Amino acid sequence: MTFYQREINRIRSICYSNEGQIETVIGIKNFIDNNFEKELNLDLLSHIRYTSKFHLLRLFKKYYGLTPYQYLTCRRIEESKNNLKKGMSVSETCFMVGYGSPCSFSTLFKSKIGVTPIEFQKRAIFAK
Amino acid sequence: MKVRVIGIPVQNQDKALKFYTEKLGFIKKFDVPISEGYRWLTVVAREEQDGTEVLLEPSPDNFEPSKTYQKALFDAGIPYTQFSVDDVQQEYDRLLNLGVEFSIKPTEMGTVKLAVFNDTCGNNIQIVQML
Repeated sequence: MTFYQREINRIRSICYSNEGQIETVIGIKNFIDNNFEKELNLDLLSHIRYTSKFHLLRLFKKYYGLTPYQYLTCRRIEESKNNLKKGMSVSETCFMVGYGSPCSFSTLFKSKIGVTPIEFQKRAIFAK
Repeated sequence: MKVRVIGIPVQNQDKALKFYTEKLGFIKKFDVPISEGYRWLTVVAREEQDGTEVLLEPSPDNFEPSKTYQKALFDAGIPYTQFSVDDVQQEYDRLLNLGVEFSIKPTEMGTVKLAVFNDTCGNNIQIVQML
């Protein structure tokens, strides 16, 4: 067994021994992945796994390093990048990934990706 | 400032190009002669051909500390770098069929699943899937 394998086993036994908690957060993450375009909130997510909102928030952040809302935003932005690359319009992309205002979506997109959706799309098409 | 290229030191560029394209499935992006048989050799992921390039750079043979460092990492089983995959088990099965050697089989660690293989050019490489 290599040093790295031993370290993985050691860290897993220290940090990831609570299988119930891990199963809960993975279940929530999968739910977000499959429903990112819908209106999701902490009440709904906590109800799915029969846990309190604050406990869920703490657990998700502990294991993924992000709050469920931050993860949802990342997921939606990733999906919107795929849609823009395929040539979908900004408005259509915005509604497709679950946002209601193209203007707010563009601002959010720029804050996360560094360029506006239009600019991102231009670069993606140019790169082809 | 942008991240366009990440480097991996390889002991043989020809062998590395073959492994990273034929086994891992990357695509050659740039192959520019530099000097003394060395090339600026980069590959990209098939799904993200405009994404970050992986530079298969020659291991500095004449710089002993670098050789010691690379060998120590390899002997300890520590990955030089890691790549993301959608399904670690599927990729493990695919690469195993192609004769790739793994030091760590698909293993769950909290909210990720990982595996580690030998790139045949002096490095361990980790593949990771977020669960």
